Amino acid sequence: MRKKILPYLLLSPMILIMGVLVFYPIIATFSYSLKKWKLTAPNDIHMVGLRNYAAILKSDSFWYSFQNTLFILAVVVLLTTVLGFLTSIFLNIDVKWSGILLAVAMLPWALPPYVNGILWKFVFSSGYGFMNKAVIGLGLADKPIEWLSSRWSLLFIVSLVVTWRSIPFTALVCLAGRQSIPGGLYEAARIDGGSKRTIFQMITLPLMLPFLAIGITSTSVTAINVFDEIIALSGYSDLGKNILVESYMTTFSFLDFGKGSAVTYLVMLFAGILGIFYLRSLNKEVEY
Amino acid sequence: MKKRLISTLLILSMTAVMAAGCSKEPASDSNGDKTEDTSSGSNTEGNEGIEGGSITFMAPDWAIPTDDQLKAFTDETGIEVTVNEVGWDDIRDKMVTAAAGGQAVADVVEVDWSWVGEFYAADWLEPLEVSDEVKADMPTLETFTKDGNVLAIPYANDYRLSYYNTKQYEDAGIKDEPQTWDEVYANCKTLKEKGVCDYPFALPLNAEEKTSTYLMWLAYTMNGVVFNDDGTLNKDSVLAALKYEEQLIKDELVDPADKTSSGMDAYKRILSGSANFLTGPTSFVSKSTNEEDCSVIGQITPILVPGKDAKATVTMALPEALGVTKFSENKDAAKKFIEWYTSAEMQEALNETNTAIPTLNSVLKKLIDNGKIQNAGAMMEQAELIASPFPGGVPSYYAEMSNAMYNAINKMALGEMTADEAYAEMEAKVTELAAE
Repeated sequence: MRKKILPYLLLSPMILIMGVLVFYPIIATFSYSLKKWKLTAPNDIHMVGLRNYAAILKSDSFWYSFQNTLFILAVVVLLTTVLGFLTSIFLNIDVKWSGILLAVAMLPWALPPYVNGILWKFVFSSGYGFMNKAVIGLGLADKPIEWLSSRWSLLFIVSLVVTWRSIPFTALVCLAGRQSIPGGLYEAARIDGGSKRTIFQMITLPLMLPFLAIGITSTSVTAINVFDEIIALSGYSDLGKNILVESYMTTFSFLDFGKGSAVTYLVMLFAGILGIFYLRSLNKEVEY
Repeated sequence: MKKRLISTLLILSMTAVMAAGCSKEPASDSNGDKTEDTSSGSNTEGNEGIEGGSITFMAPDWAIPTDDQLKAFTDETGIEVTVNEVGWDDIRDKMVTAAAGGQAVADVVEVDWSWVGEFYAADWLEPLEVSDEVKADMPTLETFTKDGNVLAIPYANDYRLSYYNTKQYEDAGIKDEPQTWDEVYANCKTLKEKGVCDYPFALPLNAEEKTSTYLMWLAYTMNGVVFNDDGTLNKDSVLAALKYEEQLIKDELVDPADKTSSGMDAYKRILSGSANFLTGPTSFVSKSTNEEDCSVIGQITPILVPGKDAKATVTMALPEALGVTKFSENKDAAKKFIEWYTSAEMQEALNETNTAIPTLNSVLKKLIDNGKIQNAGAMMEQAELIASPFPGGVPSYYAEMSNAMYNAINKMALGEMTADEAYAEMEAKVTELAAE
């Protein structure tokens, strides 16, 4: 009897923490999303079923934010995966300064996202930015370029900034994956006459796929949840807002907890579906 | 046996930590915000100060009194004050989160003029008593009054005043200060044409709050009205102001960087001489005489805000105030603190220690007359013209309305919309909100 109870007893603190900090908020947020609940109308809180979801899915503002989210997601995932993977290959080369190079490569990851955004705002500022000084100095333009004032250039810069912050994690995960591949496999492949390209295609890439899946999943969640960088670069402007900014504005700025919770739930569902898709399609066992 | 003992101890310690985390005792602030207690160093050790009670006070750095001032308050009233210094941007979020859960974020909180409508609608503020004498001497109090209830008392005055660079006017051969907005525009064109100043008009155009408020006071000082009685936009007035801004942008009298830089950066251009004209915060009176802030000291003069045919007869105020949260359990002590904090003596003292501009006109006049506020220009005269552009007080949907306004203006600035289209977009949203 004691043996049966002990594991549950040991697990109970974690179950309690998860229940209070994860499951309860998920359930509570869903119940809020079914209510008309605006803090400025405290006497008019009532159940409205799925009407908040219907209103959001019909709103142009939501779809505009969703397009922006998809754009950032696509660019960030693509660039982070390619550059993170390449970085890991370089970091895997054993040189005298490997440790220092690895530490330097990790720095952007350690930077708080808002600081990261501010830093890049100085680079792309239309008035005093480094990029404009460089472009004008090189004679590529005769007056400052307004990098942050068109939708797509702003989104692309946001994506670059997030990519810069995300590469270290993907590189680190891929590096761990690369170093976990047994050297014997490479030796056998070389004895069998495998070229560098074939070895990469047949051994390195397939065996690193599960690690890439972790990197891509994490990067996707980061790309969907971008907030600080957008605020630092363009404030609460409509131009660059994604669904997370939409959710924040609805909930905390406009004080509409009902609709805000519904937007939050849609963001969570989107991230969840994407995560499941990645893990199912990339996390396949490779046998030799 | 040993393993079981260790397991049991671990479970007990984990449970104890969680129980401590859920306790009601105030813990040290986890947000990095500075918290200090006036009881330390004061003579109210032990339980002596409890007789007068204790309160918590949440405000941004510029509103925090000195330790000596707080100690004097504690000595006088027996009320201990725990100060929670929080960034201005975060105060509203903290207030919203706490109030949504029925908790008081603090007994006394900062209340910005733009929050008062929503805080009142949400029933988060305790009405305050104010004497008729104070009401008559504090014009910004109107902004914090809803349905006859005073919800917060302003402590820092910030009303719109115009500034221009006199030396640049001389260099361009312009003799007199501008009286009307048309004259401002004509003079800016002259300054640009003569090569004295490339972008003479400082105008916030980024998608942020300052962009909406600029349009409001431009329309207000130009035409005396911004909103109709039903809360909708007054088309003639607001559209005229929007077209004025559009013309300034088209004629390149505004720096293109103002479209994406912060509103404060746009204002500050006058301090470096890269802009000639600004209608902005009263804090620029002191900034224009401070070597650390200004590189054109002696060239900037504060003047009355221009109007349509002559100087404007009104100006808009954007003051900050202190209020008592409805969920406070120490309301009387909190009210006493606000009464002390906004008294004439403290306003004078806070001007010296925190450079706060007094909200009592009598104190403001005294400080200007005795030279404590330098380069005041038309500051006192302008203070007497303060009025609210909101017929029914600041609306509960202000944040959403302002968001619609600044985004439309920003799109116009970026060339995505004309002034008419920008007006149509903001009008549709404001009408929808007012109807709700």
